[in-house]
Amino acid sequence: MTAAGTGALCGRRILELADPSGAYCGKLLADMGADVIKIERVGGDPARRIPPLWRNEASEDTSFAFLYTNTSKRGITLNLEPPAGRDLFLQLVRKADVVIETFEPGYLNALGVGYEALARLNSRIVLTSITAFGQTGPQCHYRSSDLVASALGGALYVIGEENDPPVTLAGSQAHVSASTFAASSSLVALLHASRTGRGQHVDVSIQEAVTAVTHICGVGKWLDDGIIPKRRGTSLFASVPSGAYPCKDGLVYLMVNRPLHWKALADWIHEETGNEEVLDPMFEGPSSRRQEHRELIDLFICELTQRFTVSEVYHEGQRRHIAFTPVNSAAAVARDPQLEARAYFVSLAHPEGGHLRYPGAPYRHSRTPWSLRGSAPGVGEHNEEVYRGELGLSAEQLGALRDHGVI
Amino acid sequence: MASSERAPAGGAQALQGLRVVEFTSGMAGPWIGRLMAYCGAEVIKIESQQRPSVVRLYVSPRAPELGVQAALSPWFTDWDAGKRFVALDLTRPEGVALARRIVAVSDVLVENYSSGVMEKLGLGYEDLERIRPDLVYFSSSGYGDTGPCRRYVSWGSNIEAMSGLATLSGFPERACTLTQFAYPDAQSALHGLFAVLCALDHRSRTGEGQRITLSQLEATVCVLGPLLMQQLARGEEPPRLGNASLSAAPQGCYPCRGEDRWCAITVEGDAAWQRFCEVVERPEWKEDPRFASLTARLGHRAELDAAISQWTRTRDAYEVMHTLQRAGIAAGVAQTAEDEFRHDAQLKARGFIEEVEHLAKGHVLAPGIPLGLTGTPGRTGRAGAAMGQDNDYVFGELLGMSPDEIRSAVLVGAIEPAATERAPAP
Repeated sequence: MTAAGTGALCGRRILELADPSGAYCGKLLADMGADVIKIERVGGDPARRIPPLWRNEASEDTSFAFLYTNTSKRGITLNLEPPAGRDLFLQLVRKADVVIETFEPGYLNALGVGYEALARLNSRIVLTSITAFGQTGPQCHYRSSDLVASALGGALYVIGEENDPPVTLAGSQAHVSASTFAASSSLVALLHASRTGRGQHVDVSIQEAVTAVTHICGVGKWLDDGIIPKRRGTSLFASVPSGAYPCKDGLVYLMVNRPLHWKALADWIHEETGNEEVLDPMFEGPSSRRQEHRELIDLFICELTQRFTVSEVYHEGQRRHIAFTPVNSAAAVARDPQLEARAYFVSLAHPEGGHLRYPGAPYRHSRTPWSLRGSAPGVGEHNEEVYRGELGLSAEQLGALRDHGVI
Repeated sequence: MASSERAPAGGAQALQGLRVVEFTSGMAGPWIGRLMAYCGAEVIKIESQQRPSVVRLYVSPRAPELGVQAALSPWFTDWDAGKRFVALDLTRPEGVALARRIVAVSDVLVENYSSGVMEKLGLGYEDLERIRPDLVYFSSSGYGDTGPCRRYVSWGSNIEAMSGLATLSGFPERACTLTQFAYPDAQSALHGLFAVLCALDHRSRTGEGQRITLSQLEATVCVLGPLLMQQLARGEEPPRLGNASLSAAPQGCYPCRGEDRWCAITVEGDAAWQRFCEVVERPEWKEDPRFASLTARLGHRAELDAAISQWTRTRDAYEVMHTLQRAGIAAGVAQTAEDEFRHDAQLKARGFIEEVEHLAKGHVLAPGIPLGLTGTPGRTGRAGAAMGQDNDYVFGELLGMSPDEIRSAVLVGAIEPAATERAPAP
């Protein structure tokens, strides 16, 4: 079901043996044109049934997460454990550029198909491993989940309200973060391999991916001032003012970082509410100047925002170059005029009937456009095409492999 | 991989030989160059005294009397370490001419100025493609370069709110939940890096450059894909789940001994559930029909969470984690920056935290870059550079300008001399 692509990675071959922590990595590569072959266990990936489901009948493989993260891929089944299965895998590796895997550290090695074995067959191969804690270290065999990784990576502690328990982000963002790092690492290693003929083992730790994303605004500051970053509601410590403010019909988010943006905001508050105090020069300059007046400034802003609807504050605020934005529900995002004007959402036919709409391209390449080339593959949908068409197996051989539970 | 392989003294780096020039502010743009520099690319950041990046507007909390300390900003280390810095006045044609000469010897351009600014400066893709046909030209903006809102201003936290992330995340009773780390900035940078690398792979095989635009809003909606699809397909608002899961129970973040200490726990599958009952000293739960299956446990989540909290509350968070992990159950402390950077045995064993050379402070710690390139390990170069720190290198060595030429470019105001400032006492 995958059409030939026009994407930048057209002609690259990727093998993906990934659970939900690595599926988005494969999607990023596939939607950019790479031929990503998803290798599932015989019977299919259990991730096909992770709720919520598109069609609620329990027998159907319609997990939204699976449908989303497996677009543009081809799908085959393979049991890696019997020798015949390993041989087929190694034949595929000969013609591949990258292998993405999410098994426990040491699993592929124990089967005799670890990085060294793959590199002997194909010196340019990049093996990208995505695991909870990385391939090494005293806790590399610890169990994890998206929530546990988000906790250990420091994200939970700095999300939400001060007096609530730490809380996670929606949408398995630990796995997404590991996948986005892994996709870039794989390409960095691939560029290096193209230049030098030598591939490498890429070792991505989900805990480290969360840590890098979380502490990008926190560590240096903590080391500088000794204040450990923690939950503080909707505002950011370094930006004054910042946070969610009430309007007549919902919330807007506001952030001020530049001195000019503060001036624009203070002028608007003054114009609208007659407040003279807000024009006091002691509030002007970078955010640090306003730090000790944060609560008072928040009151001034509420007096302004409560007079209007979200849409009024948003567009009039932006006309004045102030970073006001609506706090959107998923429904509001789905009908957002800006996304609509850019034809962001993409519709794709599902092979079993009906259409689904997907979030579209995160980036637009002028010469090699991103595209969704097909729905997530069915279980073993491309077995014939890959095993017979590309590896040259006969119908009898394929039948025998099927009878022995290899595919 | 031994920890020593993370930051070797020498050794080949994956992006060696690649040159990147950037016109950036904030984080979503600069982090791309930071990561490419980490992989060995030479990254030149063009700045201007006229319009410093907000990242440089830093007042040290320990020495506010010194005012803005542009080279000491810790964010500047996190997002810009390892780059080269030149200062040009781009409002002067001579400044723009020099910027174009840098572009002519670069492979990649990264910019996140407001929509239309680069074109107005004469540094748009059409202008630069003529002098560097295989250039990969990457632009990042809040809303993308088309559409009615393309000129709107936004920061990472605005995008958290715009994209639906803030409304979809958090406990059911909270209208919106935000991070302290402006998550969309990081994801925009990571998607941008990937987009640039894709274009470089295409270029390596065809010799062709191209223009790439990224909307930070769209990249953030992408990381929420399954939730948006639920809305698009069925018109349903995905419920806020807090720390709960639809496919594992119990799961949550439970209070432990001490102030604001918590441990996250996920019990996935019936076998793990049976082991969990033993560890938390509730063997009777194993036979309890209320908890006999995932569906049953999901239905009695509140009772389970209350009982588990009772067990965790009197225990140290790390003790909870290690005890559960020994029984093969996923558990992890909600760690603070200090926990991770001072005490985390796993991060330490892997050499994750980087010590980075800093021109004013000696050394600083920085969060590691988890690219995991074991064959060509990355490393972060010098931090704490001032604007124009590398004027001599870039204009002299790289562009081959004579000291006289450089001096006259400074005199006409095209090149801005390097800024100097005092460091606060440690």
